[in-house]
Amino acid sequence: MKFGRRSFLKAGALTGAALTLSGPKLSALSRSGKDRNPLPSYAKGEWKPTSCQGCTTWCPAEVFVQNNRAVKVRGNRYSKQNDGYLCPKGHLSLQQLYDPDRIKVPMKRTNPKKGKGVDPKFVPITWDEALNTVADKMMEVRNAGEPEAFVVLRGRYSYMRDIIYDTLPKVFGSPNGISHSSICAEAEKFGSYFTEGYWDYRDYDLDNTKYLLIWGCDPLSSNRMIPSAIKRFGEVLDKATVTVVDPRFSTSAAKGHHWLPVKPGEDGALAVAIAHIILVNGLWHKEFVGDFKDGKNLFIPGQEVDETMFVEKETHGLVKWWNLELKDKTAKWAADKTLIEATVIKKTALEMGAAAPNVIVWLGPGAAMHVRGGYTAMAIHALNGLLGSSDNEGGPLATAKIPVEAFPNYDNYKDELAKKHSKMPKIDGRGTLEFPALAKGKSGGGVVLNNVADNLLVNKPYPVKVILGYMNNFNFSATGTDRWDKALETIPFIAHLTTHASEFSQYADIILPSTITKFEKLGFVKTKANRYATCTLIQPVVKPMWEAYMDETEVPWMLAEKLAERGYTKLNEYYINEFKDPETGKVPTNGKEFTEYYLKIATAPIWDGKKDVGGDKINGWKDFMQKGMWNSSPYKFKSRWGKYKTETHKFEFYSETLVKSLTEHAEKNKTTVDNVLEVAKYQARGEHAFIPHYEEPFRWGSFEEYPLSFIDFKSRLNREGRSANSPWYQEFRKVDIGNSAWDDHILVNPKDASKYGVNDGDTVKVTSVVASIQTKVKLFEGVRPGTVAKCYGQGHWAYGNVAALDYKNSVPRGGNNNQLMPSDYDRLSGSTARNGGFTGVKIEKV
Amino acid sequence: MPRLGMIIDLQKCVGCGACAIACKTENNTDLRHDGQTFNWADFQFSMEGEFPNVKYTALPVLCNHCTDAACVAVCPVKDKAMFKTEDGITMHNDERCIGCRRCQKACPYSVNNIDEGNAQYSVISFNSKKSVPHEFFENKEELIAGCTISGAGLAKISGSNPPHKTDYKHTDYDPVRRKGVIEKCIFCAHRVKNGEDPYCVVSCPSRARVVGDLDDPNSEISMLLKKYESFVLKPEAGTKPNVHYIRSFQKRS
Repeated sequence: MKFGRRSFLKAGALTGAALTLSGPKLSALSRSGKDRNPLPSYAKGEWKPTSCQGCTTWCPAEVFVQNNRAVKVRGNRYSKQNDGYLCPKGHLSLQQLYDPDRIKVPMKRTNPKKGKGVDPKFVPITWDEALNTVADKMMEVRNAGEPEAFVVLRGRYSYMRDIIYDTLPKVFGSPNGISHSSICAEAEKFGSYFTEGYWDYRDYDLDNTKYLLIWGCDPLSSNRMIPSAIKRFGEVLDKATVTVVDPRFSTSAAKGHHWLPVKPGEDGALAVAIAHIILVNGLWHKEFVGDFKDGKNLFIPGQEVDETMFVEKETHGLVKWWNLELKDKTAKWAADKTLIEATVIKKTALEMGAAAPNVIVWLGPGAAMHVRGGYTAMAIHALNGLLGSSDNEGGPLATAKIPVEAFPNYDNYKDELAKKHSKMPKIDGRGTLEFPALAKGKSGGGVVLNNVADNLLVNKPYPVKVILGYMNNFNFSATGTDRWDKALETIPFIAHLTTHASEFSQYADIILPSTITKFEKLGFVKTKANRYATCTLIQPVVKPMWEAYMDETEVPWMLAEKLAERGYTKLNEYYINEFKDPETGKVPTNGKEFTEYYLKIATAPIWDGKKDVGGDKINGWKDFMQKGMWNSSPYKFKSRWGKYKTETHKFEFYSETLVKSLTEHAEKNKTTVDNVLEVAKYQARGEHAFIPHYEEPFRWGSFEEYPLSFIDFKSRLNREGRSANSPWYQEFRKVDIGNSAWDDHILVNPKDASKYGVNDGDTVKVTSVVASIQTKVKLFEGVRPGTVAKCYGQGHWAYGNVAALDYKNSVPRGGNNNQLMPSDYDRLSGSTARNGGFTGVKIEKV
Repeated sequence: MPRLGMIIDLQKCVGCGACAIACKTENNTDLRHDGQTFNWADFQFSMEGEFPNVKYTALPVLCNHCTDAACVAVCPVKDKAMFKTEDGITMHNDERCIGCRRCQKACPYSVNNIDEGNAQYSVISFNSKKSVPHEFFENKEELIAGCTISGAGLAKISGSNPPHKTDYKHTDYDPVRRKGVIEKCIFCAHRVKNGEDPYCVVSCPSRARVVGDLDDPNSEISMLLKKYESFVLKPEAGTKPNVHYIRSFQKRS
């Protein structure tokens, strides 16, 4: 007896006015003659569509608005990904909108001294003064002929990002739009790109899977399709085998059939051993991989195989992979490294093989964001190739196309200075010998965000003088935070577009209060889950409570006007001339119109009806705004078979794509591939460079001095490090296994606790080679002796009165994992290292 | 007469907290203070075993809307402030409540002070006579003087405390409770009466919660109870709770 919203939604009007509800009522509960009381009712309100940006699931959402107040949230009723439901983060967001510590007015710093714990002595100023100051500083570097000294640092974005992140710096004359992407992921994309030509997160067909192997993530808490995964998990447990590889006992591990607590950093050993067992037992998926000519399995442990004996179908290089890497990678060999019993490894591989091709190997950052993790990502993802599950029913998928337009070309609006200087090398060192950052196969194709701090400190490749940051907080969210604190001290001028006085804001000269995405902003995002790709609008469901502007579009518009007043008119002209309303041809006259027209331009193919783009039929702009989103047609299985965007168009076990990329990178830097690998910290030499393979984990700190390997994991309530100032975040932190309300803990196995003389509840100093933090001990059987785990989210020393224990005195609530972890990389992908046990720590009672 | 109840399917539940936070947005419950949680929906977590053989269960909890509710029995008000509705909801009337807290003492699932002892949750919370409801939004202190808004500033601009208050009318309870009264889950009677499921139910992304008439053998909830083994919390207290749990949070044997 489900009564309620589902029926209501079917019957109800889209903007369902007052909530005296239609739909069937439970007869037993309807008013009886005896019940004299009037029916209860909601005050007038309306469900308005927008999108949640609490994590990168980017859920289509709806907000119930009463009297211009956002009062509750749910998923968008039309979404084929969340079906109208959100995860806890979605509900939590109301406290971000209504946060007492939100900045309501632009501020300027009056204390010239900058440093951690130094009060900036912010005072309120007008928007005019704030923008004049920023424009003056920008013009200073332009007039000095060095526009490249202006940098935009990007944190969380919508797809309106191109205005502030690309058009603003490029037309101004700087190459430096620098994104946060590499501190968040990238290494896992490396795995799918250099096997199947897909530089992106995968989708997963949970409904049809028979074996779900979750590796290094917890899809019930994070990883880009949370409500969809939560909805399906209970049924998957009945229909499929669920195995979780994770050094930490996660919610998925708690619920699944098997938990394989791999030794941190040894994921690659497990992956190649599973591949070895699958091959030795003849369990590869013949329809996808092919077979031996005479049908006899020649994969015998330790023995090389003649390449000509095997005929591949949709794959490339299987026998080479076997000969170079897999033939000796037995279960026993892997058991010694991973500390997972050989029998368990074997059983897992056999069960996966039996379930092929309906197998998901769900690769997450925990198994990829290691120093040297790119190859681990390849090895894990390659299992989807062996089992023929890539792009197959019940397997990992790519995305259906989302038909949106790029922003209008700006080449004609660059003056000579901009043309020349916007092509200078970026400040993150991407594409240099040490940092291949091979996003989409291109040397320097991806960002190496964390290297920016080091480069700023030594003025490499040139000095940076003006930074505009938006929705970023890198001296909290990037590893090696102390480097960022020092680097930011040295920058002559920083403007920060933000909602809160974050850690980054403490180094700013000017603060510009921005709108809260989800509730006050206009934009769009693209997302996918459950075989559907989606374009979903972010809409201002409530009016801003004070003069806050949209970071990605309104502020650049206003800055362009200010630059024009100072003689640099090009950006202003570009925004006015090239962003006309596609319906009326009107020219934008202010930032809001500019925002709306750009949004219409970008999403036109979805709503203008000119071309059949498949999926939901949207009847014009108004209809799009009202529905708030568009679903694609379901992704077609096997649509990439034979058409993978690799060099061979096959699923590559020997990556010709990586041969090309690495060779190009080496040639660009006038050296050899082997030298690139040496400089970039990898162990592979020769042909090993081009295959998924095992590399020994790299670790900062000796086992003698730092005996415990640190495991970083994310709170399921993190709205990307921005929700810690919400009391509900603090109250419900206990939903992260092992954690407690309003507190911060390091999870320690009881055996280690007694070994190092600490007890439950003790305050301890946790020390790595770069820093110490303070937190409390929680005894926890969900980590292996020799490892400790800590949830990321706490440790704010700024941001607000809830996030910090004492904002005024910069006292953090708990410790920040990013302070403890050194800055290091998987250099091939540019990804920051966070996992793989690369941080050795010691704990001492305080 | 119907007997309204709920089952929570623990195999579906992932312990994410969406129900608990959504309840706070629907029912405008206060932040934790003075030993009271004000979490009408909450959790009881348990973990046992030794590495690597550990078992974990997240148990979502709420008022059990007991058939023989101890809280109702002890309510000293003549026309009881805590009473059973004809639908089986354990209802609380804010106006008649005298704040004696006998219900909180009598309820097997409640404690007077969450900061003392080992209880992980309390179904009933008390708004003390001294407390200010949603004090968080009464606070005038600005983090950065003249630059940040403050709690009181938000309440003023939005015209509401809390600013995210879901505004509804019900004859027995207010959307925000006054000081000096107890409060607890009222099964979202303001929704149920209008044919909508409680907000925790429609907010659960795993669809773990099913509500319905336990006295109707053909209701979905009765069918599920027939199909699966189930349990209730503290059956020994004899209050006949109407929130039932089916299946297991974890699959590992």
